[in-house]
Amino acid sequence: MTRTEFLSRLRQGLVGLPMSVAAEIVADYETHFEDGAAAGRSEAEVASALGDPARLARELRAEAGAQRWQQEKNPSAAAAAVFAVLGLGAIDILILLPILMGVIGALFGVGIAVIAVFITGGGIMVGGPFLDIPGGAFAAILAGLGLMAGATSAGALLAIVTIGLVNAIVWFARLHYRLLKPALEPQTTVVGDVA
Amino acid sequence: MPETIEIQLKKGVLGLCVLALLARADSYAYEIASRLSDAIDMGEGTIYPLMRRMQTDGLVETYLVESSSGPSRKYYRLSPAGRDALAAQSAEWTHFTRAVDAIVANDEAPVAPAPGEAA
Repeated sequence: MTRTEFLSRLRQGLVGLPMSVAAEIVADYETHFEDGAAAGRSEAEVASALGDPARLARELRAEAGAQRWQQEKNPSAAAAAVFAVLGLGAIDILILLPILMGVIGALFGVGIAVIAVFITGGGIMVGGPFLDIPGGAFAAILAGLGLMAGATSAGALLAIVTIGLVNAIVWFARLHYRLLKPALEPQTTVVGDVA
Repeated sequence: MPETIEIQLKKGVLGLCVLALLARADSYAYEIASRLSDAIDMGEGTIYPLMRRMQTDGLVETYLVESSSGPSRKYYRLSPAGRDALAAQSAEWTHFTRAVDAIVANDEAPVAPAPGEAA
């Protein structure tokens, strides 16, 4: 593989990352080729020593996703991190996806319920005094406030659980992903054959 | 998954090796990669995801050095957290290898004369 080929396959694999991050990564590998050339190695030698550009791109994307999630805790960063990490194939997606879907569905359902309770609470608080509710207007306002407060705290708990879940997935995948496996295997077999 | 033990082992050791190399002197990725690919079999390209991860974890910092030939070069140096990590990991490593050595050395004496041990 030539230097141009390697770099273009790397660039393809990095699509989806912010331009500045991708450019920085490509520059790193360009420098590597230049250093290799300065050390008297051919482009093909350097490229084969570097390994598969598509696999390197997957790892770099997962790393960037995890990094972004550490910096900004928002839904899009969470989705990006989880998908980049799943892209590594470290977690058996076929096993994990149904579970993940169930968990995400449950979280979503609870979220909707929390919002509904909050709105109902608001309705009771505002509308209560004008309706004929047993206990009187004051009780209706208190009940409405109580519902809203309950919904707010449930929502906060839900957010904490969601953040914890994404953290756990990212942590697990970073711990388990096979960073070195494809890079090591050919060399390991060669050593085995010789010995 | 017995074959992944070696992978996991090397993966863990790789981080420690980079920390140890950087503790001796600041360095750049190509130099680190060629040192490590000579010492332990690893794809040189792996150094870049690894360095990014160590940067994310706050173990290393980068700075640019102007070079007389070509563009400026990105150097890595250990952060204080990186030094702590090196101390902790090398202590763990020494402890681990001693324990394994003790077991292997103990086992070798009675096992060596056993028949069928043509390795």
